[in-house]
This record gives sequence, structure tokens and C-alpha cells, in this order.
Amino acid sequence: MKKKVLSVLLASAMVLSLAACGGKTDESSASTETSVATSTEASTETSTETAEAAPYELTELKVVVDGTLTATEDNGQAAFVEQWNAAVSEKLGHSITMNITQLDHSSYSDAVGRLIIGGDLPDVMIMSASMFKQYETTGLLWNMADAYDNAEFQSRLTLTSINENLKTADGALYGFAPTYGNGCVTYVKKAWLDAVGLSADDIKTFDDYYNMLLAFHNGDPDGDGVDGNTYGVIAAGYANLGEAPYVNYLPEFWQDGYPAILQDANGVWYDGFTADACKAALKRLRQGYVDGVIDPDTLTASTKIAREKWFSNEQAGSEGAFTYWAGTWYQTLTDNLIKNEVDSELVVLSPIAEIKNTLGGYINREAPVWVIVDDGDGDNSREQAVFDAFIETMLDGDKVQMLWTYGAEGVHWSTAADEFVTNPGTDNEKSYSYEEGTFHLLPSPNDANSIWKKNAMDPALVISPLTNGFKASTELSDSGNVFFTNNCVDAPAGASCETLTNYSADITDAKSAVISAVVIDGVDVDEAIATYYTGVVGTVIEQALTELNSAE
Amino acid sequence: MRKKVQYTSTGEVVRKKPLSKRIWNHRGYYLMFLPVFLFVLIMYYWPMLGIRFAFFTYKPVGPKTFVGLKHFQSMFIDPLKAPAFWQAFKNTLELSIIKLLITTFASVIVSVFLNEMKNLFAKKTLQTIIYLPHFMSWTVVASIFTLILSKSETGMVNGLLVQWGIIEQSEKIFFLADKGWWRPIYYMVNIWKETGWGTIIFLATLSGINPELYEAADIDGASRLQKIGYVTMPALANTIITVLILNLAKVMNLFESVFVMYNIAVYDVSDVISTYIYRQTFNTFTPDYGFSTAVGLFKSLVGCVLVLVCNYLSKKTRGRGIV
Repeated sequence: MKKKVLSVLLASAMVLSLAACGGKTDESSASTETSVATSTEASTETSTETAEAAPYELTELKVVVDGTLTATEDNGQAAFVEQWNAAVSEKLGHSITMNITQLDHSSYSDAVGRLIIGGDLPDVMIMSASMFKQYETTGLLWNMADAYDNAEFQSRLTLTSINENLKTADGALYGFAPTYGNGCVTYVKKAWLDAVGLSADDIKTFDDYYNMLLAFHNGDPDGDGVDGNTYGVIAAGYANLGEAPYVNYLPEFWQDGYPAILQDANGVWYDGFTADACKAALKRLRQGYVDGVIDPDTLTASTKIAREKWFSNEQAGSEGAFTYWAGTWYQTLTDNLIKNEVDSELVVLSPIAEIKNTLGGYINREAPVWVIVDDGDGDNSREQAVFDAFIETMLDGDKVQMLWTYGAEGVHWSTAADEFVTNPGTDNEKSYSYEEGTFHLLPSPNDANSIWKKNAMDPALVISPLTNGFKASTELSDSGNVFFTNNCVDAPAGASCETLTNYSADITDAKSAVISAVVIDGVDVDEAIATYYTGVVGTVIEQALTELNSAE
Repeated sequence: MRKKVQYTSTGEVVRKKPLSKRIWNHRGYYLMFLPVFLFVLIMYYWPMLGIRFAFFTYKPVGPKTFVGLKHFQSMFIDPLKAPAFWQAFKNTLELSIIKLLITTFASVIVSVFLNEMKNLFAKKTLQTIIYLPHFMSWTVVASIFTLILSKSETGMVNGLLVQWGIIEQSEKIFFLADKGWWRPIYYMVNIWKETGWGTIIFLATLSGINPELYEAADIDGASRLQKIGYVTMPALANTIITVLILNLAKVMNLFESVFVMYNIAVYDVSDVISTYIYRQTFNTFTPDYGFSTAVGLFKSLVGCVLVLVCNYLSKKTRGRGIV
């Protein structure tokens, strides 16, 4: 009997001790609840409280960032942080230390979610536009509208609209974009165009574009003597439904079709996926699949696989056209073609007429933003201090902006007299020589044969340029940026409401099923869309539209 | 309840020492047991507290609200979530059980063939070769098969089929995107990867068969096939049943192999509970971990029931349970 009593007691003790642990978690999460609730209230009172906030001396700054910070741990991050600490401490007049947590780029949003759940809140973190939409109104983020409006860099901004557009209807600003978003343009291998007797200037409409793809597929553009063993174009999926702007990897096929909730000219939200433009886009994709102009690997390829197949040394089975990021990537793609000993001359296609006449150009995605976490204590002084230390300095035009743009001096870039050689002893050997005082980039810390390009901020996309005159970009990336800037339009604003948040995974699955059914299985577009819409997805979409339109 | 009294051989009542004294007497053993006890407590029981989130709305931001059985209701009857969930549940059972049966069958066949090989060098070499795929990660295996089964020009299988005149260039098969082909390919890849490893336990059993049984069969004039049928297979039967029963308990744990091989075109036939949970959690920026936990809890409960069923079957067939 004693045994039984003891075992019951032991079991109870175990349960109680575990419950106690659980209770602790509850307590911490309860405090999170409180903080979130308070922060919502606090954020609405920001404007009145900011002025009264007491000075706050921030000595430590916790930053969470994704792979866009190219100064990674093995690529000179320690020097970057050290120089940032020194420069910002000097500006603020007191010592400050930045602690960076760099999370895996591909699972960034998930990792951030787990950080927040675990209560390990950073002071500041980066978010993609889509991610930001879902966090914007949760109360977690600090309304930095006043801080932004009063920032020192305001007078130097060349692109004011980027952050003004991020403000909510009531003027709140929960994220700051130091650069504009950038977007994708269509690159075509010049040698392939020549081989099929075409010129980029001839590609003006979708029919021209499609005929070019047909010529790439049916002809012998790679010159291996075999017709039909090449493709027109490849992409990472027929649409990237996980992240806006969803259709930027196959813009000629999608044209004005946009598989998301959109706002019309009158500000009314509607489902772009069921619109005629999307149906027409799906038909074009189906035709492209049937005719073999779109590489079938598009269904399963990641962006890495798609681009590696495109610039692969083995051009049989490759593709002539590839739509990818403008600017720096123009140079990177060219470099990879050279590395793989493939004819490296690329032509950037102007947006075809169907895109120009509807959207207006290639899509410029909504920019990633830096957000400041609201601690919810009702006092904005700490958040203002985070803004001053992190965001205000980021666009100082000088030392700190240099760090975010080009990295650490002496590690990523230098102005000292210098001589170095990349790829010594190979066909790609290149010598570099710089005089004292000349700004130049150094070989990457983790790859002596590759010249460092940039750190987290692209100098070509930044909304407030450097004031020290330092500039290190290649002719190709410059021309790529100029071309994109002249041929782009802003991506449609993303929608955010509770229903979309609750069902976003299910809606994405349902849309994916429609795209796959139409493109791969050849199901009739109207039938597939009708099944999507008349089913339960339609009910959810209707509910979301009601929420969105009633909130306007 | 009456206390059971124990007597010594001389008829004296056995008086047990108090438990605390007994523990103190054996304190050395208890001390040795303590780290294991703590390890089990922390690593196995403490995480189980997370089960409670199945009854909460639990997102990265916003209040954590008790919602009772709402997530289970969503999972089972919500018109948007339930069809995908039940499809995934059905696929999990089908894929797992069929995979289990055919890989076990293949392992048995290969074991018997290996056992029949007389050349020891060839036998060992072959064994090593068929074990190797087991040590490759599923990511690598999926990349290889995606490449060779591709419909594009890089696809070796389609290339050969066209070259041999079995199909036309325009009839190339999109193996991994075709609902009819995906499952056979999945089973084939599993056979390729796991059959070799699966033979270990059967070969061990085969090596334990009394050679006198074969000698007796020889004297009786049995052919090679008859020896397999009347000596080898009956000796393997118990092991086959044990392997099947033990693996049946794990049928709900199907993720990696499916995750790396499936795509949107074949969700209907390939999506399993774990991949469904993955998408519900990671295809949104603010996932409701409560819903994912509820689906995971249901999966665990089904797994638990399967273990009990297996235990029952084991008792029936082998005379003893597995738990």
C-alpha cells in the first residue's frame, strides 16, 4: 500500500513540478500579453508622449537580421560590429554595443516567430514587406512616425515616398525602409538571340517574346548541333505565392495578372486571383508548358537551382531567358557565365507592351523594413533611443552609412594604396592597383578571389545617398539599376486582415492547386477558378474582402 | 483492501523495512538512477507541457487565448481545413503502410538471395553496395532522383525511354509531378534507399538457422526453391512479423522523405500529416502554433493507438508484448 501511496505522491510531485514550470511560462506569456496590449495603447499615444520622454541611455542594442547582411560571421561581421560600435558611440556620446543575431535567410520568418514566442525580443529587426504586413498592427512594433519625421536625415532624402507610403491611414509608421525594394528584369543570352536570328529590339509584345522562346526551344541556340534540347525560360515556380510580388519571375506570362487581394482605383479590395487577367495568365503559362518553352523544371526548381541551370557550363538543357533581380545581379549573373565559360553577354529586355500598357513596367517590390520592438511600458524613451542609435545613424551619409553600405574599413573596403590579384595563375587572373586616397573594395574576407560587392544596403537603392562621394559599383550594375528605375512601377500594396492571417496557408495551398491543375494537368482555367472560388475558399476570401473594405 | 501478509519459511511474519529506510539502504543505486530520472523528466515529460497549446490560440504576437476544442473542430470539420487534413491523414496511412509492406518484402527477398550466394566476397561486396544508400540524406537522394527523373533535357530516364523508342519526345513523363507516377516512384526510391539496411535483421536470423535442417532437406531430395519455401521462410516468419509490428507503430512519423520529394502538383497523393503541419506553420508569417500543436497531438494519439494495437498483435502472435 505504501508503495502505491508513494508512487502516487511521486507522480503528483512530478506533475506539480512540471505544472510549476508551465506556470512560469504562462506568467511570462501573460506579461507578453500585457505588454502587447499596453504597447497598442502606447503606440496610439506616441505623439504626445515622445516629447515628454525622458532621455534614455541605450548601452546595448539587440539586432535580428536575415541573410541580407552580407557581412556574415565568416565574412567580416566582427569588424563591422566593432566599427559600428565605435562610430555610433562617438555620435551618441556614450558607449553602445550592437549584438547581431543573424538567422537563416530561408526560414527567417519562422525563426523570428519562435524568438517572439520565446519572449526573446530584440530591439530591432528586419522584415520583408509581406512579413511586415502581418506584424504591422499587432502592437508589437513601435510607431516611429514622429521619430522618422524629425530625423536628421530628412533633409537628405531623395526618395521620400518610400517611407511615406508605409504610413498607415492614421499616420503611424511601424517600419523604416532605408532602400527601395528593387525588382526583376528579363535577361536574355545575346549569343542565343544571335543564333536564332533575333534582336532584343524586336521583342516588343508577348507574341514576340513567345516566338523568341519558341525559337530557343525548337532551334539550336546553344550551337551543339541538336535542335530542341534547350528551353525558352526557367523560373523558381510558376508563381512565388509565398512572397510578394508573387509573379516577378515570369512577368511576361503574368502581365497584369496578380494572384493576391488587390485594391482597385476606387480603393475597393477584390480578389485578383479570380480576375480575368489572372485567368489569361494561367492560360499563357499552360500554353508555355505544353509548347515546352518553359523548362518543366520550373515546377520544382528553387531560385538557386533555376539560376545555376541557366548559367551552367552545360548549355544543352539550359534556357535563353531568365527573369531575375536588377542591378547587382546583372553583374553577378554575368560573372557566373564567365566563370562557367559560357558566352556572357546579356541583353536586358524592355517590358513588353502588354506589361507597359497595363502595369506600366516591371514590378518594384515593396521594400524590406527595419522595425523597432515596442516594450509596451508606455514610455517611448527607450524606443526613441533605439531609433537614434540604429536608424538615424544608418543614413548619416558618412561613417555608419558606409558600414551598412560597404562594410568595415580595412576589411571590406579601403582608401589606402593597395595592390592585389584575384584568381592568380588562372585564365581569370586579374590585378588591382589603387593609389592612396582612392576608395576601392577589397577581396571578400571569405573568398580572396572574389571582390566584395556590398553589405546590407545597396548603394544604388538607398533613399539617401552617401555624402562622402564614395562609390563602388560596376558599369553593369549601374546600368542595370538605371534601366530598372526607368522601367518599373511599385508593386500593388498588400492586404492584411485577420481572416487572411488565419487562413493564409490554406489560401496559398488552394491557389497553388489551381495553378498546378491548369498548367501541369491542363484543367480548364474557368473550371479550376470556379472550383477554387465556389468552394470554401471563396467564403473565406469574401469574409476577408468584407473585413478589408469595411476597414477602409 | 486487506494488506497482504508475507511469511518466512519458519512461519514468521515478514516485516518490511519502511520505504525511506530501504531507499537509504540502496542510496547508491538511487543516486545512479537520478541522472536518468532527471534526463527523462526534462527531455521527455517537460516538453509534453506544450500539449496544452493545442487548446489555445497561440501566435507569435497577440494574446494567448484558451479556445477549448476549437482547433480540433477546425481540423475535423472546418470546410477549408478539414479536407486537406483528412487527405493528409489518409495519405499518411496509405503511404506508410504500403511503404512498410513493400520495403519489408524487398528486404526479405534480398536477404534470402544474399543467403543463397556461395561466393563470400561477392556476397559481402553486394551487401556493402546495397547498404550505402541508407547513409545518404533524403535531401541528396531527392536531388538525385529529381534530376534523373526530370522531364527536361537533364532527365536521364526520360532520355533513355525516348532513345529506346518507348515514348515519343513529346510524351515525356513528368514522374514527380504526375499523380499517377508519384507514389510508385516514392516506393521505388524507398526500396532503393532502405532495402539494404532492412536486410541486416533478416540475414542475422538466416545465419541462425540450424544447418541440419538444410542437410535433412537435401537428404529428402528438396530442391533449392523447396528449401527456401520449407526451411528458410518458416524460420524468417517470426522475424518478419516482429519487424512489421515494430514498424507499424511508426507509420505516422512520415515527413522527410515526402517533404523533399513532393510538390504542388501532387499534394493530393503525397501530402502527409507532418507536411501538412509544416505548411500550416511555415506558409504564414504569423502561424497559429495552437492549431499545429492540435494536429500534432492528434497524430501522436493515432500513433499511440497503433502502438497499443501492435502490442496486442505482438502478444497474440509472439506470446509477449513489445511495450
